[in-house]
Amino acid sequence: MQAVARPSAAQPSPPAPERRPRGPRRPFSVGRLLAWVALFLMIVITLAPFLWMLRTALSNNRVLFTEPGSWLPVDFTTGPFERVLGSASTEDAQAEGGSGASMRFWTYLRNSVIVSTAITLGQVLFSAMAAYAFARLRWPGRNVVFFAFITALMVPPVFTMLPNFVLIKNLGLLNTYPGIIAPFFFMTPFAVFFLRQFFLGISREVEEAAMIDGAGYFRIFFRIILPMSSAPIATLSVLTFINAWNEYFWPQLVGQEESVRVLTVALSAFHSSTPQTGPDWAGLMAATLVAAVPTMLLFLAFGRKIVNSIQFTGVK
Amino acid sequence: MASAARAEKAAARERAPRRQAKETRAALIFVAPAMLGFLVFFAWPTLRGLYLSFTDYDLLTPASFSGLDNYTRLVKDEVFWNSLWVTLQYVFINIGVQTFAALLLAVLIHRLTRSVVIRGIILLPYLISNVVVALLWYWMADYNLGIINEMLSWVGFDPVAFFGDEDWAIPTIAMVNVWRHLGYTALLIFAGLQTINRDVYEAAAVDGAGEVRIFFRITLPLLRPVMALVLVLTVIGSWQIFDTVAVTTQGGPVDATRVVQYYIFDQAFNRFDFGYASAISVVLFLILAGVALVQLKMLRAGESDQS
Amino acid sequence: MRKTTRRTLSVLTCLSLGALLSACGQALGKDPNTVNYWLWDASQQPAYQQCADDFEELNPELTVRIEQRGYDDYWNGLALGFVAESAPDVFTNHLSKYPEYVTRDLLLPLDAYVERDDLPLDIYEDGLTDLWVGEDEQRYGLPKDWDTVALFYDREMLAEAGVEEADLDELDWNPDDGGSYEELIARLTVDANGVRGDEPGFDKSKVEVYGLWLEMSDGFNHGQTQYSMYAYANGWETTDTNPWGSRFNFDDPRFQETISWWQGLIEKGYMPRFAAQRGVQSSDQLAAGNTAMVTHGSWMTGTFFGYEGLDVGLAPTPIGPTGERATMFNGLADSIYRGTDNPEAAWEWVKYLASPECQRIVGEHHVVFPAITEAWEIAQQRFAEDGIDVSAFTRHVADGSTVLFPISDNAAEITALMQPALEAVMSGQAPVESLSDVNEEINQLFE
Repeated sequence: MQAVARPSAAQPSPPAPERRPRGPRRPFSVGRLLAWVALFLMIVITLAPFLWMLRTALSNNRVLFTEPGSWLPVDFTTGPFERVLGSASTEDAQAEGGSGASMRFWTYLRNSVIVSTAITLGQVLFSAMAAYAFARLRWPGRNVVFFAFITALMVPPVFTMLPNFVLIKNLGLLNTYPGIIAPFFFMTPFAVFFLRQFFLGISREVEEAAMIDGAGYFRIFFRIILPMSSAPIATLSVLTFINAWNEYFWPQLVGQEESVRVLTVALSAFHSSTPQTGPDWAGLMAATLVAAVPTMLLFLAFGRKIVNSIQFTGVK
Repeated sequence: MASAARAEKAAARERAPRRQAKETRAALIFVAPAMLGFLVFFAWPTLRGLYLSFTDYDLLTPASFSGLDNYTRLVKDEVFWNSLWVTLQYVFINIGVQTFAALLLAVLIHRLTRSVVIRGIILLPYLISNVVVALLWYWMADYNLGIINEMLSWVGFDPVAFFGDEDWAIPTIAMVNVWRHLGYTALLIFAGLQTINRDVYEAAAVDGAGEVRIFFRITLPLLRPVMALVLVLTVIGSWQIFDTVAVTTQGGPVDATRVVQYYIFDQAFNRFDFGYASAISVVLFLILAGVALVQLKMLRAGESDQS
Repeated sequence: MRKTTRRTLSVLTCLSLGALLSACGQALGKDPNTVNYWLWDASQQPAYQQCADDFEELNPELTVRIEQRGYDDYWNGLALGFVAESAPDVFTNHLSKYPEYVTRDLLLPLDAYVERDDLPLDIYEDGLTDLWVGEDEQRYGLPKDWDTVALFYDREMLAEAGVEEADLDELDWNPDDGGSYEELIARLTVDANGVRGDEPGFDKSKVEVYGLWLEMSDGFNHGQTQYSMYAYANGWETTDTNPWGSRFNFDDPRFQETISWWQGLIEKGYMPRFAAQRGVQSSDQLAAGNTAMVTHGSWMTGTFFGYEGLDVGLAPTPIGPTGERATMFNGLADSIYRGTDNPEAAWEWVKYLASPECQRIVGEHHVVFPAITEAWEIAQQRFAEDGIDVSAFTRHVADGSTVLFPISDNAAEITALMQPALEAVMSGQAPVESLSDVNEEINQLFE
């Protein structure tokens, strides 16, 4: 925010336009042009596959491969999206190369929102708390515990999957939201590591001042540290939400029941019925695009927050 | 105010034992929820896996202790050594390209534009689950039907068997994952760039330093802690490559993409040799821990650099 | 001790999560009158849902809950279910998987129930019921369907090549020159200049349309849709006895000369290189016009005939040196998990799935061929009403030219050994004789 409001002192006139408040304005230069070209190329490479997905999602799966080299939809239809949203009848779906799986899209969407939100809230809060303790508080065994947390990054999924599944089953949490959420709810090494790194950069002076005012650790954490770290926390929250949203393996093990089935699990019906039939490419692409929309909206909503430069007054 | 703080600090030092106890108590409370998750969902399974690596365990009948059998078998298992080698190639290409490109992308965005839209666009691939990303590229890179080969033919190139050719398969899989993770990694680096005080740039600009000079003299050194963090995370993540292989090449052609995680998974759940799979996992775990330790050393060096 | 820990954890988890979402304890009690049933084919789900509805009407006290999981996740989910004792009561089982389950005592033997209810086993196609009898002579599944292999071809390409469709009914094949089968494949291959594979000047480095497609990406399944129909027609047998063989014959010259011939098609430019075939599956390649013929299983009929703008025909596999044609005969069955809390209910459902009532419904949906003769004849008829002649598949059953899918222990180990070895041969890196060494390794598994 400060950066936005602070046009460069080195350039008294003219004031930089509000939209491009970046440092010293420079007139046209070859280097800058090259930089833009490089950025543009990267964006093209990023986006091209999405164009392909969209083109496929608007095609009729039955004729898709008659024109494998065309960037335009083959036999344009909105059928794939109807299949995903569950508004196509089984006959219509099968006529365009879909499967007979039932689709209660809005239920799955609701489940995904619930699961991802709960995971994000829990994981970010608890990881932030832990990160604060690692970054700021002195306590015996801190470094050992921190290193142990980091090693959790290296635990092979083969190790965790089985005991976790058995645990969730024994707790009677199969096919419940808590069962799907639990392994991700309390922490991930990534989140702890990430936030600790940022907390380390916050000036101690602010905290010590608060300490003098008699604030406890909790007050400092919630009133000072968290607000000061809103940019990295927003970044982390969005990434956590996206990861939770895309999590497929675990929910398909523990949450198959319709009432708690999340989108990724439901949408797998579009590609994984092999070896019995060919995949419904058009349906799969439509499903993928639709499933990405909520996370995209989330990013747009929080985008400002992530983008805006937060000056860590004390980084130095 | 500064002197007041100093006085307070001195006072604090006198009260140290009491304050220390209080601080420890607070720390334990702060760490408790994460600790619960860590113990239940990571530590316990790991210890159990460690134990199982010394047993003959087929998942469905009770494990029986077999000493070092699994480990001696592992030493002689050519498929395992090959899988390590293949994974190493993957990690090397994936991390090399991804780190370089993400750094470039982050700096470009940081220096060129404040557009949320552009930042949103680069994160788009990460919104797609990796299974679907793998399927999508598997199709787009198909030798006969893929749009990529179609486009190569427009400019006069011969088609490439991206996933079918032994020399191409690993680089292709590595690049597919670069595509998915580039924006994500760039965003992490970007978060680090934001912590660099803008005044530094402005001062440098006043001194007449060019962009390249600014990058190497200012950005890169200040970014070191964040880069180290990003590298630790991405390198470890990269070793866990599994999904992309599972939905595309499934280890082939021949053994060209039989990465360690895929081999572990095959042993555990297709061949029900969970004891052996655990032994491989333990070795992999040790390798990663070694890599991370070295990297964390770097990270610590970076920290002291800054403060 | 462990119990206490578990309870503590349970309380903790519920406290922390339950505050947020009140679902704890809900799923603790499972209704014993609900039968959980798993299948992997989404396109068959509507048929089985109808069976379930009818079943519930007949047995009002029972409920059937069908769960479809993609094939890739299916077996893994099942394994975890076994470990955690939460596997489905009844599930669709595959021949390549069930021996592992039998050796680990995971399946409920059905003999006592079959005997008690006096279930007729002769209503199923010959051989299908035998497939599901374990080495211990006990029965672990009731057959639900079967499949065979045939040639799918592009009728337009055939016409362009000037080949009569009727000729495809009597193709002959041998491993030396490939017989009229190879002549056909060569004829159907076209290079970039429009020159056919059997014409002078054919450029095998620039092939536009292959005569036959190679597809190996689905993993090693004893060459079910790849080479088994040639090798069997060459008098080869996979194992010493089937089911439950313990000596494999991958070192047999009849097998190796078949593979040599097959691989030779690549050298001649009639079949895509091994590297070039990996990717989009063969049915899509046929639809895209990259190949004129594909060997595939009957379960793919709907997919192949579903493409719009593609005129597909079906031909039987060629007649080999034995004087007969051959196909692998594979069948699925429904099995009961030994840990089910209501074996009686599970049995009732399995019995219903294997009954003419349910299999007729499956036949009506004509996705696969049900195991009961009258039911697959319904499917055949429904296919015919759609203009699809499936006799290329069914004639094998009538002629008795089927070979049962090889059932043995160590199936996963065999796959792990054979797949890379076969890939090495097909990509030209290793001589076909290298398979003899692999065969030796495989046989050692049984010692």
